[in-house]
Amino acid sequence: MEEKAVFSGENVEEAIAAGLAALGLIREQVEIEILDEGSRGVLGIGARPARVRLSPIPAPAPQPTGPPTPEPPTPPAEPDPTEVARGVLAELLERMGFAAGIHTHQAEPAPDEEEGPLVLDVRGPGVDALIGRRGETLAALQRIVRLIVGRRMAERVNLVVDVDGFKQRRERNLRRLATRMAERAAQSGQTVALEPMSAYERRIVHLALRDRTDVRTESVGTGYRRRVTIIPQPAEEG
Amino acid sequence: MSAMKDLVEYIAKALADNPSQVNVSEIEGESSLILELRVAPEDMGRIIGRDGRTANAMRSLVRVLAAKQGKRVTLEIV
Repeated sequence: MEEKAVFSGENVEEAIAAGLAALGLIREQVEIEILDEGSRGVLGIGARPARVRLSPIPAPAPQPTGPPTPEPPTPPAEPDPTEVARGVLAELLERMGFAAGIHTHQAEPAPDEEEGPLVLDVRGPGVDALIGRRGETLAALQRIVRLIVGRRMAERVNLVVDVDGFKQRRERNLRRLATRMAERAAQSGQTVALEPMSAYERRIVHLALRDRTDVRTESVGTGYRRRVTIIPQPAEEG
Repeated sequence: MSAMKDLVEYIAKALADNPSQVNVSEIEGESSLILELRVAPEDMGRIIGRDGRTANAMRSLVRVLAAKQGKRVTLEIV
């Protein structure tokens, strides 16, 4: 038996998507016939929905071995952000006279993020010189890398440049501080305000305390004075 | 071309809308170096950044190179 169905949508893509959803199939499992490309009309006048006919392709006989073939990877519309960021950082390091390696990983996302930042960790001889007083040189390096990557990519890339785990160590200390201050807030029943910190550092504090029910965290203040406050929460009843 | 000039040129060209109008000249003293960065007028804002943050970031990076060579460097955007 051959099933055929006609679906419509604002444009061809939407019509196909609606059809696939209704049939519970993926694109590779249907033959798509475009009946009408539709038209947006002018100011909504003369608009016509797009129409497509989807015919399920008969499934091949189930193969005795192996899992179902995965969907072929769609070619990336633009270069991989990790590779672009790595390339930009490598070019800068070379020009700054460092023979350093770059290790990349994806950091854990904050509660309100879908994806954590991409971390580029620079390792090699003499890289300490890239940290600078209070991490100023590292902040400069990160800023330049972000700007250049931002110019090369259409999408915003959330990235962090680190040197030999410097930020990671700082992170560990910040998490300890956060826990200590949360204890203080919970015990005293009073809000504790931390020192002003960068967005990256504030994020670490929020993350460190997100699972606690006895306190909640909130950033207050603007610009370089923005700081995390730890607010005690009344114990939940029942 | 000195390494510092090359670094500034690389960054400025990567950020500018008009990379062909990026020009860096060096004025060398005995223990100091002045780098003069010129960009198209419409790129000035982008190269300097809000509150001069991008310019300062470039200065920080150039200073790392200068320290290696035991020099003092000044980056001017003109």
